[in-house]
Amino acid sequence: MSNIKIQMKGISKIFETEELETHALKNIDLTIYAGDYVSISGPSGCGKSTLLSILGLLDMPSGGEYVIEGKNVTDLSLDEAAEIRNSKIGFIFQSFNLIDELSVFDNVALPLRYKNQVPSDSDIEMRVNECLALVDMSHRASHKPNQLSGGQQQRIAIARALVAEPAILLVDEPTGNLDSKSGDQVMDVLEKLNDRGTTICMVTHDPRYADMATTQLKLLDGAILTTPALSEAS
Amino acid sequence: MSQFIYLHKQAWASLKKKIGFVATVVVTMGTTLGALLCVLTLGHLLLVEPLPYPEQNKLYRVGHILDDNKGEISADAFTYPGLIHLYKNQEVFEQASLTSYSQSVLTSLPNQPRLLIGYTTPEWFSLLGVKMALGRPFEATEALDTFNPVAILSYDTWVKEFSQSPDILQQKVTFEGVSFSVVGVLSKDFIEPQLGTTGSDMHAWLPWDFNQQTRFKDSWGNIHGALTYIGKIKSGVSATQAEQVLSPLLNDTWQEKVVGSDFFKGWTISSEVRSLKSIILGDSERMLFFMIAGVLGLLIIASANIANLFMSRTAEQQRQLAIYAALGAKKRHLFRNLFAESTVLMAISILVALIISSAGFYLMQTQFASVLPRVNELTLNLFTFGSAFLFAGLFALTFAYLSTKMINYKALSSMLQSSGKGTGVQVSKRFRQVLIVTQVAIATVLIFANISLFKNAVKIIQEPMGFEVDNMVSVVFSTSTSPAPTAEESAIAMAQLKSELQQLPQVKSVSQATSPLNNFQLNAITDPVTNLSFTPDYKQVDAQYFTQIGQPLMEGRLMSAADIKDQNRVAIINDVFAKNLREDGNVIGIELDSSGDIYTVIGVVKGVKLPGHSDIRSRMYFPSPQSHRQMNLTLEPNQSVTREQVVAAIKEVSNAYALFNLSMLPQTRNNILFPQFAAAVSTAALAAITLFLGGVGLYGILSYSTQMRRFEIGTRMAIGAKRKHLINLIVRDNTVVILIGIIMSIIVMTVIYLFNQELLAEYIDVGLIPVFVFTLLAIGSLALFACYWPLRQYINHPAIHMLRGSD
Ligand SMILES: Nc1ncnc2c1ncn2[C@@H]1O[C@H](COP(=O)(O)OP(=O)(O)OP(=O)(O)O)[C@@H](O)[C@H]1O
Ligand SMILES: [Mg+2]
Repeated sequence: MSNIKIQMKGISKIFETEELETHALKNIDLTIYAGDYVSISGPSGCGKSTLLSILGLLDMPSGGEYVIEGKNVTDLSLDEAAEIRNSKIGFIFQSFNLIDELSVFDNVALPLRYKNQVPSDSDIEMRVNECLALVDMSHRASHKPNQLSGGQQQRIAIARALVAEPAILLVDEPTGNLDSKSGDQVMDVLEKLNDRGTTICMVTHDPRYADMATTQLKLLDGAILTTPALSEAS
Repeated sequence: MSQFIYLHKQAWASLKKKIGFVATVVVTMGTTLGALLCVLTLGHLLLVEPLPYPEQNKLYRVGHILDDNKGEISADAFTYPGLIHLYKNQEVFEQASLTSYSQSVLTSLPNQPRLLIGYTTPEWFSLLGVKMALGRPFEATEALDTFNPVAILSYDTWVKEFSQSPDILQQKVTFEGVSFSVVGVLSKDFIEPQLGTTGSDMHAWLPWDFNQQTRFKDSWGNIHGALTYIGKIKSGVSATQAEQVLSPLLNDTWQEKVVGSDFFKGWTISSEVRSLKSIILGDSERMLFFMIAGVLGLLIIASANIANLFMSRTAEQQRQLAIYAALGAKKRHLFRNLFAESTVLMAISILVALIISSAGFYLMQTQFASVLPRVNELTLNLFTFGSAFLFAGLFALTFAYLSTKMINYKALSSMLQSSGKGTGVQVSKRFRQVLIVTQVAIATVLIFANISLFKNAVKIIQEPMGFEVDNMVSVVFSTSTSPAPTAEESAIAMAQLKSELQQLPQVKSVSQATSPLNNFQLNAITDPVTNLSFTPDYKQVDAQYFTQIGQPLMEGRLMSAADIKDQNRVAIINDVFAKNLREDGNVIGIELDSSGDIYTVIGVVKGVKLPGHSDIRSRMYFPSPQSHRQMNLTLEPNQSVTREQVVAAIKEVSNAYALFNLSMLPQTRNNILFPQFAAAVSTAALAAITLFLGGVGLYGILSYSTQMRRFEIGTRMAIGAKRKHLINLIVRDNTVVILIGIIMSIIVMTVIYLFNQELLAEYIDVGLIPVFVFTLLAIGSLALFACYWPLRQYINHPAIHMLRGSD
């Protein structure tokens, strides 16, 4: 039981705009175990990003129950959600979302500074350097993000996502803004991390990358098409 | 031309869709430009525009300066014989006139109105080029010492008191028992130089010979501020040259006349020849300075706000601009479009501004005529329209230029191809910071200045006087027969009148004395023991006066009924004078010499402050003569007394008297404090407007900044930033800029102070420190609020709202 990282039961999401109701997610059941490498794919508009944002507590589900590492996170206040995101979730976005004014080092260190108990400066430095080394970017610590290539920026984003030792990495189209060579490099990093035990959940269009995952989810119209491996594992 | 029309039509069309934007621009720029045009027109009128009289640059007023050469007294007022001496013997003016300003009751009309009267010589009419609506001006027949009883009415008086009666020139008017034939009515367009009181035109003009000061015609030791001398200077003579000639003319004769007077030993007389224009301007230059500074500050805040709005709007329109660029529009084409838009907006704003400044003129004419000179000449004139046009053009250009400047033309062209994120038009961070610094600096200066002035005004208004005037009414009686009743007759009549008034049910007590709010007169006193001279204020009071107004006795006794009845040579002085006379303040029983009469000090009262004055001068009170024609009534609570009731009481006693004036003292006090009330209201309003405009401006800039940082804030939220982290972040990032703004404001204030030390010296004291702290708190909370408010809509929603569109 303790190796269940994420458990969703009957999660749904309804967007209400003016007179239109969009059922973006319908009754999603999902369990992710420690060390899993889950890929989510499906046609545009099927709800991939919506699912990821609910997984990452960026948005609240309209119904269902959601548990991360045994903690029920279905009904959290904004600040409580922020705290869970900070300690248990690492995000990697399609457009990197690095902060231009901060150096690479400070970008990576940022999640640590939002912790309830901010670590000492020397601990932060140690941890940041560790993560930069992991994505092979130690030599660029004092650069500004806009002095780096897209692939390098995405690797910095990965380092930032890792720095607070999250329970899971949530990745949305990590290669969408990259050429195929840099994309491959980023995917190599992710694979290496997974090999070292990091749990990853990734949205991707690219079937090549989807194949790298241990579990492949297909979404269609807000519902999961196939749930292979899940039942076998439990 | 057709291109021009096309551009403006297009501008209209695009603006019509943005009513909120248009309304904000027009209201903000319209009101501030309106205020600016109003103040500038006033400034131009006062400082630049000539007076509306022929050869006005040759018109001068002669001042008669008495100086005791000890630095204690320096007065600017003529003695009656000194004025006549100057009039008869001077050689520097081609033509000169004498005027004495006064008031009198028009007893020949049933309502017996009290009119402002100018007594003058015929030259007054030719010097000022007076045009008549009816009849003639004064002529040689009314020259000095002709005693020809004729009168000229102002146009307003003719309308108001005589219903524009066409046979007015056949009518007579009676003042103080003398009947004057009306010979003329001044033209409606004539603008009187208000040398008597700013804000009030004379109602009627009588020949000089009838003026009420003639009883002082041989008195070289008695000055009167209402005596005025104006003249047209001879060609080639400068004011300084005139002074050099006139000073000895005045001084030599005066010295001869006062030789032997102990009091005037060492005094000198000099002349001061100043242009009529500077006399009329008076010290309103200071007020003008504050008004222009205040309005300019507002305008800077307002235009910073609007510049920011224009630029944010351009940023919003980036997609549309990119399409223009793709279709081949060059940078100057884009500028032309934006300029057409800003021109339309500024044109509407300036129309609003002109309406607002007309309203401002009306306000000044109806409410501020007594504190601002020449306001009756205010109209929208060429200068106003010229400035309006200039400002409209300037602002239209500036706003269009700033908007165009932020378009990165190269980025625009490529924008349509790219996803659109991060490129294109943005108000640069540096520029936003400049806007914040400007807003904070100007707002701090304005709020600080206005609160200090407000505090000053309120302090003067609230200054305890040391006596009470609640429920008090002051009445002054004039005589209406010629010759006037003798002092003995008056004494009997006044005693009867006093008991008549006392019998009115609403009257609680009556004293026979000058109003406690009236200014005192000056008296020359020598102390025979120390041989020192003093010039304390003095006033004549009866036995009831001090008790009636609650002015406390500190030592000795008040006047008794017997002191008044026998006109004993006794005096009461205030504590300030007592200290000046004897260091130990032990003055009861000492004797003082007033022009040869010896008075014994019987009591010391606590000094009082007159409204509008924060100092307490040396003062002395003498027994009022029983014929004294001024009384103070204290009424029962919530009661009042009418003019008619008092007139009826007079009629019971005698027909030889008229009611000259009846004034409610609380009202009088408020009138005296009017400049302070006006200052308090306008500074409070200006401070509030500044705070509001500054708040709106800061909010505009900071909300735009926050909007620009949406993705960054969203990212921070995604990686676990809580609300407090984000509020801290935004506040911290803006604190430096706001601090720079505050430092700038201190620099600006220091510079303003250094360049205007003389004007501002009286406002500088330690009391400004709390005001400054308060200003900083106000600006600080405003800035904090402006930081938090735009942020709240983001941080109170799930983080996904901020990130949407980022991938
Ligand atoms: N804020 C919102 N308001 C209304 N509808 C929304 C909102 N966000 C998403 N939707 C709708 O929900 C559905 C799922 O959207 P989502 O972004 O999750 O799709 P996606 O699978 O990520 O697509 P893509 O592959 O194009 O990124 C879509 O129909 C979308 O229109
Ligand atoms: Mg998506």
